[in-house]
Amino acid sequence: MYILIGILLIVIVYVIAFYNRLKTALVQIGASNQEIGNQLKRQADLIPNLVESAKGYLKHEKEIFTQLTDARKAINANQIEKSQKLISKALGALQVIVESNPEFKAATVMTDLMAELRDTSDKLMYARRTLIDLTADYNASLVTFPNSILAGLFNFQPQKGLEVTPEEIKKPEIKF
Amino acid sequence: MINFYEQVRQNKIRSTIIVVGFITFILVAAYLISYAFNLGSEFLVGAFIFSLIMTLLSYYSGDQIVLNLNQAIPADRDKYFDFYTVVENLSLANQTPMPKIYVIETPAMNAFATGRDPQHAIVCATTGLLTKLNRTQLEGVIAHELSHIKNYDIRLMMIVSVLIGSLSLLTNMISRSMFFRGGRDRDNNSGNIGIILTLIGFLLLIFSPLIAQLIQLAISRRREFLADASAVKLTRQPSGLIEALQIIGQDPNILTSASTATASLYITNPFKDKLSSLFSTHPPLAARIKALREML
Repeated sequence: MYILIGILLIVIVYVIAFYNRLKTALVQIGASNQEIGNQLKRQADLIPNLVESAKGYLKHEKEIFTQLTDARKAINANQIEKSQKLISKALGALQVIVESNPEFKAATVMTDLMAELRDTSDKLMYARRTLIDLTADYNASLVTFPNSILAGLFNFQPQKGLEVTPEEIKKPEIKF
Repeated sequence: MINFYEQVRQNKIRSTIIVVGFITFILVAAYLISYAFNLGSEFLVGAFIFSLIMTLLSYYSGDQIVLNLNQAIPADRDKYFDFYTVVENLSLANQTPMPKIYVIETPAMNAFATGRDPQHAIVCATTGLLTKLNRTQLEGVIAHELSHIKNYDIRLMMIVSVLIGSLSLLTNMISRSMFFRGGRDRDNNSGNIGIILTLIGFLLLIFSPLIAQLIQLAISRRREFLADASAVKLTRQPSGLIEALQIIGQDPNILTSASTATASLYITNPFKDKLSSLFSTHPPLAARIKALREML
């Protein structure tokens, strides 16, 4: 008799723990989505300022400055993808300039700038990775046994996670 | 080829087995010793409470002591940009708050993490390490340290210390009291089983602290493998940590301010003895690199 009650208690605790874990996971996935937006905004705010500081070296590169200003406008208008594209273009142009001007490498302003830019990209990468990992853990809970039965009971749906568009997978062009 | 998910899983299972074995050993040893020497349970409880208090003291104030012992200074973003941003970025991926960071000025290469939980964590690196590793290699090392924090290894080693401490106290107390009492009172439970158990109790009195310490070191080594696998899970790039371990292994400098008393977790054994690996807190570098290469 007591054994049955004990087993019932264990099952109830397990179900509650499972439900709470998945609910928490969903909230965390939402938060990591916001984090990506956060990093994108940081990128859009920071890069123009950094490039300003290197203005002395980049005075002939008006195009980069235009692209960055447009990117900042796009972020403020919540057009995240558009701002991403503009920033990528500006960064690409910046990279080319630094590589083709050896004297830039000796300038602390320029090396600091490139270090900050790399760090910004890393942060964005880790924010994306977090979303991917959280979604994978959550989706795995939905399909493994016996949790799959419970997930069906509570109607937990699989999450999309991060989607990569085909043009993002395009190989970068390297011209010598 | 084993991927890092699988390695993390295997390491977690193995370390659970060792920890369960450890707790069982302590309980059995404590029971048999008190049986052999006719001790009441108040001795066991007393030893446990005393050891618990001592360990809790070191658990809560240990961080500051470790930092002062090593003359660590806080690291700021301007002077240590790579160190700061690497810790910041990996904390994001690790889903833990960014720990406080410190540096020790010495050419020796090492890094350690300490702190009872991710909210009170500290990561410290030597300037030798920061200058001799590039950013990718540094990421491997920091990912390893952050994994220690996330896996609550510091707390685990604290629990292990409490248990070992209680056992050592118990054996100490008995050894002292035997000196004065000179022997065990006969009670009416002596039969063949009783004699065998008493014998084992005697042997355990002498050997159990040593056995317990060997198991503790085995636990420490298994957690190091787990931290390596978790580091790869964070960075997705075993080569960073592999190269870092190789460079550290070839570096001749020794961290002189390291102390066995610190309950923190270094990236490699700071003592560099050629002792048998049974007595080492870390697995041999070659074994760690081999495990990491399987994830490449």
